[in-house]
Amino acid sequence: MTALVLNGLVNGIIVGGLYALLGLSLSLLYGVLRVVNFAHGELVIGGSFVAYMLFRALGLPPLYSLPVAAVSFFAAGWCAYYLLIPRLSRSDDPETMSFLLMYGLSIALAATLLLLFGADSRSIDYSFNPISVAIGPVNVSTARVVALAVTIVITAAMGWFLFRTLPGKALRAATMNREATQIIGINVVRLSALAFALAFAIAGMTGVLIALVFPAFSPFSGGEYSIIGFIVIVLGGLGNPVGALIAGVFYGVAEQMATVFLPQALAQIVGFALLVGTILVRPTGLFGFRALR
Amino acid sequence: MTTVLEVRGLTKRFGGLTALEDVSLAAGGGKVVGIVGVNGAGKTTLMNCLCGIYRPDGGTIRIDGHDTTGHAPHQIAHRGVGRTFQVPRVFGKMSLIDNLLVPVLSRDQPDAQLLAQAEAMLEQMRLIHLRHNFAEELSGGQQKLLEMGRMLMPEPRLVMLDEPFAGVHPQLCSFMIERIAAMAAAGRTVLLISHDLTSIYRLSDWLIAMNQGRIIAEGGVEDIRGNRDVIEAYLGG
Repeated sequence: MTALVLNGLVNGIIVGGLYALLGLSLSLLYGVLRVVNFAHGELVIGGSFVAYMLFRALGLPPLYSLPVAAVSFFAAGWCAYYLLIPRLSRSDDPETMSFLLMYGLSIALAATLLLLFGADSRSIDYSFNPISVAIGPVNVSTARVVALAVTIVITAAMGWFLFRTLPGKALRAATMNREATQIIGINVVRLSALAFALAFAIAGMTGVLIALVFPAFSPFSGGEYSIIGFIVIVLGGLGNPVGALIAGVFYGVAEQMATVFLPQALAQIVGFALLVGTILVRPTGLFGFRALR
Repeated sequence: MTTVLEVRGLTKRFGGLTALEDVSLAAGGGKVVGIVGVNGAGKTTLMNCLCGIYRPDGGTIRIDGHDTTGHAPHQIAHRGVGRTFQVPRVFGKMSLIDNLLVPVLSRDQPDAQLLAQAEAMLEQMRLIHLRHNFAEELSGGQQKLLEMGRMLMPEPRLVMLDEPFAGVHPQLCSFMIERIAAMAAAGRTVLLISHDLTSIYRLSDWLIAMNQGRIIAEGGVEDIRGNRDVIEAYLGG
C-alpha cells in the first residue's frame, strides 16, 4: 500500500507539473486579456504533433522538439493576437465574443489536425536509456523524470521572467490592473501580444512533454486538456499564474491518489468534484485574489 | 502662464446620455485647477477623456501643444500626464517598491538609481517602513499615497487627481494637501477633483464647477463660493 501511495505521489507530481503548465499559460492569457482560451487543449495537442512530425520525418528526439515548438508557437501566438484580438475590443461585449472566438478556434484547430493526421491515436516510439529510474522504492519511467525536469526548468524560467524582468513585472501588473498599467505609460497592446505569444509557446512545449509522458494522443485529445486547464485555473484563482502552478500540482496529486484509493469510475470525477467544491466554498480559488480587477 | 493642458469643445456621449458637452478649459504654469460638481456632473468622465481611457466624441485635447485627442492612455502618459483614481488602483500583489518601479521600468537608468528614486518617493509619502509589504496590505488612505507616489515616479508635468481625499482619515488628508501643494510648488500643473470643498478651496488657484456634463461657472475661490448657479446645482434649488 505504501508503495502504491508513493507511486501515486511521484506520478501525481510529474503529471501535476504538466497540468501546472496548462494552468500557467491559460492563467497568463486570462489575467492579462480576460480571454478564456477554449482552444488551449488543441494548441497543446498541436505541440504533441510537432514532436511527432519531427520524430517521424527527421528522427529528432522529442526533447529537441521543445525549442522548435516554443519558437514556432510563440510566433504563431504573436500573429494570432494581432489577427484576432484587436477586433474583439471593438465589439460591445468583448468577453463573450472572446468565448465564441476561442471556441471556434478550438474547433478549427481540431479539424485541421484531423485533416493532417487522421483520427487514429498516435504515439512517439522513443525511449530513454535506461528506460526507468528508481526514486526511493518507486520506479518511474525516465521519460516522466525528464518531463518533470523540463517542467521545473520552464516554470523556473517563467518565474524568473515574471518576477525579475521588466516585461515580466509589467505583465504581472497588467494581470492585477490593466487600466492602471496603461495609465502609467505601459503599452498594454504590445504586452498583451507578448502574453498571447508566451501562452502559445508554453502550450506548444506542454504538448511535446505530453507526447513524452502519456502513451497516446489524437486530434480529439485537446478538449480533455482544456478542461484540466480550466479546473487548474479555477483552483488556483483566475488570472493568478503562481496559484495555477500550485493548483496544477495539487490537482495532479489528487487525481493520481484517487486512482489509488477510489474505483476507477469514481477517480475520474475527482477533478470535477474539486472544481465544483472550490466554486461553492471559495469562488476566488484556493490561491485567488479577492479583488482581481 | 505656460499652457500645459488645453481642452476645446470636448463632448462625450454614452448611447443617448451626453456625459460631457462642449467642455473647454486650460491649465498650466504649476497651478492647481479644482473641479467641483455633484455626482454625475461629468468630472471623472472628463478626466477619463483627458487621460485616454475614453475616446471623446467631439472636441480637441492638447497637451503641451500636441494634439492627444483619442490617443491611447500610454501615449498620453508619455506626454507627461499622471493620474490617480477615486478608488486607488495599486498593484495589490506587488511590493510597494515594485509598484513604484513599474512606471519607470523602460527607462534607460541603472537599477540602483531607479531603486533609490523609488525609496526616496516612499520616504516622501511616509511609506518607506512598508516598502517590502504587498500593496494590498495597506489601508485605503495609504494606497492613495502609494498611487500618488507611483504617478509621480515618471515626473509628470500634468497630474490629475480624482477624489484624493475621499474616505481618508483627516490627519492623512492634511498630509495629502501638503503633498499636492508640493507638486504645484515643484511646477506641476494639478487638475483636482474633490467633493471635499474645504480642501479644494484651500488648494485651488482656479475653480471649475460642472453640472450635467457642462461647465456652469469658473473663477477664483470667492467667485465660485458665491456663485448662484453653483449653489443651486449643489442644493438642487
